[in-house]
Amino acid sequence: MPAVAIEFDDIGLTFAPASTAPTTALEAVSCGFEPGRVTALIGPSGCGKSTLLQIARGFLEPTRGTLRFLERANGKATARPAMSTVWQAFNLFPWLTVIDNVAFGLDLAGVTKSDRDARARRAIAAVDLNGFEDRYPRQLSGGMRQRVGLARALVMEPEVLLLDEPFGALDAQTRLVLQEQLARLVETSGTTAILVTHSIEEAILLADTILVMTARPGRIAAHIEVDLPRPRSMATTRDPGFSALFDRIYALLRDEVMRAMVGGQGGVQ
Amino acid sequence: MSVSPLAKDDAPVRTKPGYALLDDPRVLGWGSIVLVLVVWELAARLFNVSALYLPRPSQIVVALVTLFGSGGLAYDLGVTLWRIFAGFAIALVSGTLLGLWIATSFRARAVADMFIAALYPLPKITLIPLLIIWLGTGGPFMLTISFLGAIFPIVINTVLGVSQCDPGLVLAARDLGAKPQQIMRRVLLPSAIPSIFAGVRLGLGVSIILVVAAEMVVGKAGLGARLYLAGQILETEQVFAILIVLAMLGIIVTKVQDAVDAALGNWRVD
Repeated sequence: MPAVAIEFDDIGLTFAPASTAPTTALEAVSCGFEPGRVTALIGPSGCGKSTLLQIARGFLEPTRGTLRFLERANGKATARPAMSTVWQAFNLFPWLTVIDNVAFGLDLAGVTKSDRDARARRAIAAVDLNGFEDRYPRQLSGGMRQRVGLARALVMEPEVLLLDEPFGALDAQTRLVLQEQLARLVETSGTTAILVTHSIEEAILLADTILVMTARPGRIAAHIEVDLPRPRSMATTRDPGFSALFDRIYALLRDEVMRAMVGGQGGVQ
Repeated sequence: MSVSPLAKDDAPVRTKPGYALLDDPRVLGWGSIVLVLVVWELAARLFNVSALYLPRPSQIVVALVTLFGSGGLAYDLGVTLWRIFAGFAIALVSGTLLGLWIATSFRARAVADMFIAALYPLPKITLIPLLIIWLGTGGPFMLTISFLGAIFPIVINTVLGVSQCDPGLVLAARDLGAKPQQIMRRVLLPSAIPSIFAGVRLGLGVSIILVVAAEMVVGKAGLGARLYLAGQILETEQVFAILIVLAMLGIIVTKVQDAVDAALGNWRVD
């Protein structure tokens, strides 16, 4: 798999609906996402983290700046690498069973029935959902649904995995278990991942690099390397290095959240 | 069917078999019909009511058997069913496609909104004279009247169902590589199926009403025509017999729809 880096150069996005005043969601964002690494985007509500993800995916066109995909080997520009998204709201198709949800993308791509079944079963096993292949999403708990969401993205073998607040809709305990599970998956697969999150803990546990964003209009306020050893787990949270990072990010975010609240934009965390 | 909203959760479980029988909705439903028939039969005999005015259930059963046996009612039933379901099937296919198009195209929607607003509230039965002028009273007329009964609820409910599709599902499908055609067929259509089926329920009911009514006005064959004829020559047993056939048709259609509805449970998001 050719390693491709994603580069945001001075990217901005202003929504200009005809009826109301234009809103600037992103302002001059420059940052890079290295191949084979996990980068977390963290910031106050409404700062444009998810917007950034949608631009990378190609679902939103920036109104300024350039988005580049560069081959790691020679620095040449290349096409958008294969990407798959894991969504906060899971977005599973309620009329399809677990296995048909996971195989949906393969089916669209014209993979034969026996081949996509085998691949979907492997992906389902990777998220520990063996035996649930023929259930419907409504028969599963929130945590299990998101594991289906994860399997559905992983089965596409994306070069870049986009995680849009993947555990935001889950309760605290389920979240912990899934964070550990995801940490294992990204550590072993070596895939490039961009994680949008509200949780400092989640960012530190999963990411190699953390980008802290400002309140709207979003910019990159800080670029923090996480050099804690892998594999990481709940035990990592007791590492003194973890506490130092947590405090540093919290201090940055606290100011931004306050600014977002005073500015009247974005929500209260 | 579902539990009554007034049912008490903490009501003690009854163990006497006599009571348990009365807790079965099927026993209650069929039992009450049998009871009404028995009371009817006895009252008609007791008060010696004229069969011209109110025939007894036993006389109606005899008329029903005769009509099916030598009176050719099976043929009329077949003709009516064909008219209803052929027109309805055309409405289902074209209405679903039209609804998908209206829901996904801004221009189609703007145009269709006006036509639907003008035509939907119009009682379709008022179109019978015009349709006879245009189409005569044969097969094309009957198919058109059945089609017109079903098409509006199906289009409207398809548009509604597609418009209410969770945008997250569309994004997820795009993320997995779906093209617009595939999104329409694999996401918008299935997510609208419960709503489309609600339109089917309404539409099929209107189709049945319209076909029988049209048969009463102009038909030479069909249940409506036989009903009207029997009424004119004061064959009251036959009138009741045909009404019973229509009622049975209603029960079968409703029960099949209930079964389809239950099977569609997996389509619903919770």
